[in-house]
Amino acid sequence: MISTDLNTYVTFGYLSCGVGYLIAYMTGALASSVRKWMLAFLILLWCVHTSAIGLRWIESYQMGIGHAPLSNLYESLIFFAWSMALALIVARFRFGADVLVLLGLPLVVFTMAYTFLLDHSIKPLIPALQSNWLVAHVIACFLGYAGFAVSFVAALLLLVSRASTGLEKRLPSHHLLDEIVYRSVLVGFPMLTVGIVTGAAWADYAWGSYWSWDPKETWSLVTWLVYSAFLHARLARGWTGRRMALLSVLGFAAVLFTYFGVNYLPGLHSYF
Amino acid sequence: MSKSKKSDPSSSGVGSLFLGLTSFFTSVRTTIGVLFLLAAASVVGTIIPQEVAAEQFQRGWSSFAYRLIVILDLNSMYRSWWFVLLLVVLALNLIGCLFNRVPMISGEWRGIGRKHSFSFDYPDAGAVDAVRASVTDRMTGLMRTSPQTTTVDHGVNLVWVRDRFQLFGFPLIHLGIVVILLGGVIGLFYGVKGHVQIKEGETKGSFTVTPSGETRPLPFQIAVDKFTLTRYSTGEPKEFRSDVRLLKNGNVALQGSILVNHPLTYEGISLYQADYRPVGLKDVTLVATDASGEETKLALRPEVPVQLAESPYQLRLLSPNPRPTGQSTVPEISVEEPGQKPKRISIVKKDQTLAKLGDKELRFAGYSLLYATGLQVGYDPGTPVVWAGCGSLLVGFVLALFTNHRGVVVEIRRTASGSSVHVSGRSKRLRKEFREKIELAIRDGMEKPQGR
Repeated sequence: MISTDLNTYVTFGYLSCGVGYLIAYMTGALASSVRKWMLAFLILLWCVHTSAIGLRWIESYQMGIGHAPLSNLYESLIFFAWSMALALIVARFRFGADVLVLLGLPLVVFTMAYTFLLDHSIKPLIPALQSNWLVAHVIACFLGYAGFAVSFVAALLLLVSRASTGLEKRLPSHHLLDEIVYRSVLVGFPMLTVGIVTGAAWADYAWGSYWSWDPKETWSLVTWLVYSAFLHARLARGWTGRRMALLSVLGFAAVLFTYFGVNYLPGLHSYF
Repeated sequence: MSKSKKSDPSSSGVGSLFLGLTSFFTSVRTTIGVLFLLAAASVVGTIIPQEVAAEQFQRGWSSFAYRLIVILDLNSMYRSWWFVLLLVVLALNLIGCLFNRVPMISGEWRGIGRKHSFSFDYPDAGAVDAVRASVTDRMTGLMRTSPQTTTVDHGVNLVWVRDRFQLFGFPLIHLGIVVILLGGVIGLFYGVKGHVQIKEGETKGSFTVTPSGETRPLPFQIAVDKFTLTRYSTGEPKEFRSDVRLLKNGNVALQGSILVNHPLTYEGISLYQADYRPVGLKDVTLVATDASGEETKLALRPEVPVQLAESPYQLRLLSPNPRPTGQSTVPEISVEEPGQKPKRISIVKKDQTLAKLGDKELRFAGYSLLYATGLQVGYDPGTPVVWAGCGSLLVGFVLALFTNHRGVVVEIRRTASGSSVHVSGRSKRLRKEFREKIELAIRDGMEKPQGR
């Protein structure tokens, strides 16, 4: 299928873009013209990525089993990578920190590369997934995850920058990194909330219960609780810096376990 | 908790306890602590199998872990006393914070007690009227609203305010959580969940409550006419469909299909497609070929005798005797001839030749299965309450994150040389950006009248 080939090209594109950023950074050549070209390349890749997702959607209709390409681990990983790339581009424009892209791209590349190991054929939708809630639920969850991923990257940078004075000079200011850690969660958190609420509405419709303490549900709640503790610590207790960064890392660990780890526990979300 | 220690030791015991409790339940530290405890507890619940009898943990778990599981109800953790207690503390904490915060909103709405996050002065601005006109022009363009104007001695005060309703973001979010928890409690006390398995062609008026296992009557009867399992060409299931009639006093009250993601609701009780099970044979098709090669199809239904045309033979599909082991039984046909002992034939494989009866050869051609459909029964009056809470939560988020309560006060005073201007402002979000915009607009407004 063309969409699968496109995904392969996009993966190597992201990889070369990441390598380009790294070389530019190591040689200290993050001059404005280089930055501009690298960013333009990233945006171009993201557009191709978008069209690959759209094409897969069209291909599924041509096969007569049309459904949104969000129905299994392969498709959700592609969408997760797409969301993270989008979040990185938005964060780059908002905060002007290229290092964020440098450290965020490996996450995107790794996620895309992981899909090489999976079955990429388009399968018809099983009855449990035949619902209009699917699209809203999955999109909201992954946009939330993407926000948390950006926060995680900034948190790592902040922790590294605090630990090493040598790197500190080459990284954005602590204040800016702290802002990115906080503001990305501020965007991700309501998205995750929408994801959980739409998931609950769907569960009520499909299983007759809006909450069943299924491991995926429970872990998404754990993630939500960690990030709400994060926001309360920031807004009401005025926490900043290292403690916020550590909470952000903890939250992203919960995100990753919600996404990947839960598959090792028995539950209802077995198709993801 | 640390706050309660700070309460005045000289006050009476009851009073200090009350103060301590009040400060405990209005403290954000409590919130953060409870959020972490809930998160940690939820994780435990995904590791230890839930809704499993405690005895099963005696094997494979250490005796200490087993005792801990029994004492803390870890095998049905989300309903244990201490988990519910954590949720109650969270709810009280939320209500405490709401009580603290909500009374301030009306004051803030009217602008009382507003703290300005920045202020700056222009001691030497131009003529009052010119400054006023140009500042009003710039600021109205920036704030996209017209100012409230108050004339005071020697000058004028201009106030711009936007997005005051952002003040409702906080209470809506936190009230939403309380309402969701309330909905959960209503469901816990008044809701019921269960399961019923009904064979095609059968009618049932009761269901088994989960997890207690007791049988309860339904206010109506469910008649299952048909269960259909459709597959894609790849063999994967496409649709599970139960065609049902709901009977009230013997009359059909509602007729419809129950599919996955498509429940049927009647009198507040919802029926969901949960599972299915083949329970027997609906019919078996046989083909009888006579000497001339002419074929006749026969459909045998359990225990319904069928006469083989132009012959003395009568065929009957025997109802399978359920075996205690639960193995599938081989279908059997009884061939009966008047005056003879009935003969039993087992059907083992497709296209099997079963018997030669007179000039006719009997061949097995096919079968269809009789299914029992498993329906989940759900009644939860708390659900609408939960949705109301979710709605409040989401509206609260939109207000808190996508609107920005901000205001600017410009005080222009007449001086000997012209005027002095004092600007102060505040913004809930994006403070720095807001301040920069205001400064730029005001400076722009100051320079223009002077340059004229």
